[in-house]
Amino acid sequence: MEFKDYYKILGVERGATQDEIKRAYRKLARKFHPDINKDPSAESQFKEVGEAYEALGDAEKRAAYDQLGKDWKQGQEFKPPPDWDAGFEFSGAGGERAHGDFSDFFDTIFSGVRGGARPGAGRAEFHARGEDHHAKILIDLRDALEGAARSISLRVPEIDAAGHVVLHDKTLSVQIPKGVVEGQTIRLKGQGSPGTGRLPAGDLYIEIRLKPDPLYRPVGKDLHLELPIAPWEAALGASVKMPTPTGPIMVKIPAGSAHGRELRIRGRGIPSAEPGDLYAVLKIVLPPADSEKARKIYQDMANELSFDPRAKLGV
Amino acid sequence: MIDKASDAKPSEIVDAASVLSLDDLCHACNVEVGWIGELAEHGIIEPAGRTRSEWRFSSLSVVRVAKAKRLERDLGLNAAGIALVLELLNEVDDLRTRLSMFRNSDEEAPDDTA
Repeated sequence: MEFKDYYKILGVERGATQDEIKRAYRKLARKFHPDINKDPSAESQFKEVGEAYEALGDAEKRAAYDQLGKDWKQGQEFKPPPDWDAGFEFSGAGGERAHGDFSDFFDTIFSGVRGGARPGAGRAEFHARGEDHHAKILIDLRDALEGAARSISLRVPEIDAAGHVVLHDKTLSVQIPKGVVEGQTIRLKGQGSPGTGRLPAGDLYIEIRLKPDPLYRPVGKDLHLELPIAPWEAALGASVKMPTPTGPIMVKIPAGSAHGRELRIRGRGIPSAEPGDLYAVLKIVLPPADSEKARKIYQDMANELSFDPRAKLGV
Repeated sequence: MIDKASDAKPSEIVDAASVLSLDDLCHACNVEVGWIGELAEHGIIEPAGRTRSEWRFSSLSVVRVAKAKRLERDLGLNAAGIALVLELLNEVDDLRTRLSMFRNSDEEAPDDTA
């Protein structure tokens, strides 16, 4: 198991005050919160920062960690010495840090002490009806456009015969309807927590998330596509072939089109009773000047067209 | 009862047109009624209907409320802050999408000129 240098994770000195630690944590929490930061590594970084704050934000835990950790470096193979935590009492008091599982490292050093080390685990709460659960499913745009059967794996807490809460792996096959959009939820009745007594289980809400597609970018019900065109097509206009989710079409580029112009193709977005639209965003691409001929053509244009793109800059 | 967990479930899509009551939404997200009221006051969710008993929410509300709950819990934001954050995030998303239309993956950062 690797040693975690919580000071390094928060970016603070070992002698930092509690205030400095709190400030550092809050700044990083804002930065890496998965609802704010779309990067796939954000969530694990957010958890790591939360765990560091859990250890250092609490005076008792910090003192114990300092005692233990002064000789170790981040990433080193680690084993706690026996009785290292003799004399420390952890109240297990919570704080404002994030909920979630802690690493093996954290559990090892802060476990088995009075008060427990998992704030938030707490007593089992007895709901009359089973709790609803939430999960996410990441699907291809193609699945959203056409519908598909996809499976989702969940770790579900269940209460065993002895009354303990155990985690149980469950796989469900879900029918993704045609025309779903990002953020839409699918409700599976009775797939949440079991109810107590004779009361029904809660529901499972599955949030649809779309994987990035190489061609199309969904924005709500609409799709955006980058459409590269040649400079002469932009200047003179042209009829060009472009892909759509339902097959290629010919689209008319108006003469004098500027870079970034959007052409709307109605009804070719995400299908629905009222389908979304497809926006082709024109991107003017320059042919490379990588041959004698190409260079001559460009030079001819420079010489024969009196064109000053910087006329308005006043230089 | 036989566990049919591995069979394909006929899923009910709680789509944008279908509705949840105030109670459904509270239960789905495990939040208090009063807090839903506060979120509605700030426009984070927009119920149809005039009185609370008439309130109906689209399924997109489930995701928004779950997100709001996480922001409150993890970052200590109040409803006003959450509303602003969600609006700005939408705007940033939209701008990023538009911006990515203009850049190739190999020209992410501006070049420094000599």
